Amino acid sequence: MADRNGQFAVETFSLTKIFTDWWGRSRVIAVDNLNLKVRNNEVFGLLGPNGSGKTTVLKMLLGLLHPTRGKAVVLGGDGRNPKISAKIGFLPEESYLYPYLSARETLDFYGRLFGLNSKLRASRVEALLDMVGLSGMANRPIGTFSKGMARRIGLAQALINDPQLLILDEPTSGLDPIGTRQIKDLIVELARRGKTVLMCSHLLADAEEVCDRVAILYGGLVQKEGSIADLLERKDKTQITTDVLSDRTIEQIRRIVEKDGGEFEAKAPMQGLESFFIDIVRQAQREKRPTSGAVNRMDGSAAERVAAVSDVLDRLVAAKVEPVKSAEPQKTVESIELESAKDVLSRLTRDKQKSIEPPSQQTEKQRQDEQKPKDVGKELLDKLVDDRSEDDKNG
Amino acid sequence: MGKIWAVARNTFVSSMRMKIAIVSMLLLIVLLPILSLTSTGDGTAIGRIQSFISYGLGLVSFLLSVLTIIVSCYTLSYDIKYKQIYTVVTKPIRRFELIIGKVLGVALLDLLLLVVFSSVIYTITIQMPRFTKTDEAGLARLNNEFFTARAALKMNIDEQAAENRVLEAYNELAKTGRLDESHKKEDVLSELRDAEKFSRRSAEPGGMILWEFEGVKPFDVNENIFIRFKFNASQEPPDKNLYGVWYVGDYRQLKSGQPRMQTPIRNIPRKDVINTLREFEVPADVVAADGYLAVVFYNEPMNETTVIFPMDNGFEVLYKVGSFSDNFLRAVIVIFARLIFLAALGVSLSTWLGFPVAILCCFTVFFMGVINGFVVQSFNYLGQNLAIVYQYTIKPMIWLLPKFDENYNINRYIIDARLIKLSFLALAVGVLMIKSLILLLAGFLIFAKRELAKVII
Repeated sequence: MADRNGQFAVETFSLTKIFTDWWGRSRVIAVDNLNLKVRNNEVFGLLGPNGSGKTTVLKMLLGLLHPTRGKAVVLGGDGRNPKISAKIGFLPEESYLYPYLSARETLDFYGRLFGLNSKLRASRVEALLDMVGLSGMANRPIGTFSKGMARRIGLAQALINDPQLLILDEPTSGLDPIGTRQIKDLIVELARRGKTVLMCSHLLADAEEVCDRVAILYGGLVQKEGSIADLLERKDKTQITTDVLSDRTIEQIRRIVEKDGGEFEAKAPMQGLESFFIDIVRQAQREKRPTSGAVNRMDGSAAERVAAVSDVLDRLVAAKVEPVKSAEPQKTVESIELESAKDVLSRLTRDKQKSIEPPSQQTEKQRQDEQKPKDVGKELLDKLVDDRSEDDKNG
Repeated sequence: MGKIWAVARNTFVSSMRMKIAIVSMLLLIVLLPILSLTSTGDGTAIGRIQSFISYGLGLVSFLLSVLTIIVSCYTLSYDIKYKQIYTVVTKPIRRFELIIGKVLGVALLDLLLLVVFSSVIYTITIQMPRFTKTDEAGLARLNNEFFTARAALKMNIDEQAAENRVLEAYNELAKTGRLDESHKKEDVLSELRDAEKFSRRSAEPGGMILWEFEGVKPFDVNENIFIRFKFNASQEPPDKNLYGVWYVGDYRQLKSGQPRMQTPIRNIPRKDVINTLREFEVPADVVAADGYLAVVFYNEPMNETTVIFPMDNGFEVLYKVGSFSDNFLRAVIVIFARLIFLAALGVSLSTWLGFPVAILCCFTVFFMGVINGFVVQSFNYLGQNLAIVYQYTIKPMIWLLPKFDENYNINRYIIDARLIKLSFLALAVGVLMIKSLILLLAGFLIFAKRELAKVII
């Protein structure tokens, strides 16, 4: 992602935190000489097992802990400076909320801390309650909420100021798959709008899906840092995903691949548990089954869900925000897979002169592709198979 | 200010929903009406009402103090313990604003509860004469001695004149060679001083005591002034009663031998039981136009014993200078100032102490405030041997302790219908506010530096 204004959203210089015992003797090096650079408008993940120092880093950025050595610069200043903290949204590792306050009172309280006027506060509170699916329970004390419901309010409070930098500590911890999906959609949408997100997590699948870059911490030290694509891409394998193919078609592809000297394996892909779960809940919601828990509108496709998140964010900022034009189009796991598939297809069809438009010239098309990846994949393969069939017939 | 108000509002709302606040409110709602029915005092109408207001105000003041201590210690220490503080201090609010907000929130809770319960006490007190069997005299006594606010003049001793008399007496002894050379001069002077002071508040059979006052300004000359006294006898009489004559008026008229009196001098012969507070009234026209008033007690020779008036509450002149309502309001203001002090103390202590330790310290300070006089005396006595160390260490800390006893026992003013002077009110409230500010400043400094997510391993 581009580094606007030549400034990092978060920058640490030899940041070190050593925890001591009662007598001031050094006991645990939680963070060791950390030099972290989070660029503006990127989703950065701090990954690591429990006790690796992720949360300690976030606490130092926010002034909750004082570094033993080194320095942390957040949005060009000290995270404790009210001018800086006014631009930060923070979701701690657990939703530390006031049990006696209702959900609405809680969000109103945090809105007041940001000095929002009553009209703006009221509209944001309602929009956020709607987003986290707790409008129906807005007047219930937080103390009566489940962990996941409280987590949703925690997320809502982190967004009340339409933050420039969102710091999320284990954002999906305690959430049901719907809430998890929603947070991931939200993070992607926030990044699209030019916000910076710094999250720490040990749920690698979540991080993989939303982060542009990650740093893996162990023992307070950065073990590896880089973009998801660079870190995870397997250069020795190609994966193609498509709708069900006939045995004949599979056999034809196998022949092409083996002719090219590659190994081929075809099997029915497993549906992700997340999408399966969301389907079940969507069905229950259609049947209007009663629930005392959070209610999120799950009817609609992934694109519609993202649009719903986008709509809430629009309501948050009171006016429609022009999306920040990123230097590179937003990559999702699906789009990365699609690009790989196109490369394979290009290679597969090279002999038949069935060229596919080069990626650089099809940005608009690609964007449409991202919304309906499977249909397009099927269309391409069908076309490819049809051509083969005609050849066979002619032959 | 918006952020401070947000914290205050949050603290207020959370506190109102805590069980401790609800229990305190229920207790007061139940206990106050019961007290109005069960208080009997000495059996008279005034005694019953005095007893009710004494217990009522005492109960409200005590329960609200306890509630304030608990809530103020709880509000910040639990935010830190349960980490709600993480989501607050990471917002654009300065830490001192958070502390002020917390104190303001507790103060709002106190204000609301104090207004409600003092109104209940006031209403019951005002209505009690209607439901109390009493005659005209009893009602008049109620109006004169309870439903009013009176200035109090205590027996005063001119220290300089007394010292001069002591020196004269010493010189006289020295001249006449009656000094015991085995005694040091200071010891002799000390004994003479005690004797002089004793002579100003005691009268031998056939002797008298004169008290003079200036600046006496009764609310209305057509009303009465009140002489309140308590005396003892060096030899207790068989029926425990003493005879005496009180002369009240402008004593200077007798000295100058004026043929005609400008203002009357009243003489009131009385027989009173010893060791009991007694009160009688005299028309206020005895006070001279320039505010001079003299009171003389003549000890009848038939008593055959010396009459002694105790130093602290032996003699007072009271006269009406204001209304009961005003005085009650002032008492409530003093109680409110105390509660703010306790709120500042609780919040300040919980910037660096956990809830159990903070609450223990607060209760210690509260009870030391209740026995402040004793504490100060004890430490002053101990400090005599450690003069400089004491001066700069323990003494300032002792000064920080609140005073809820002696002159600052606000209940006594209401029971005795004694005016809480504006100057006294300003002093009591002002000193408490200064002490609160000092505590809060210490809290600001500690909290600003505190590492809120610190872990000790």
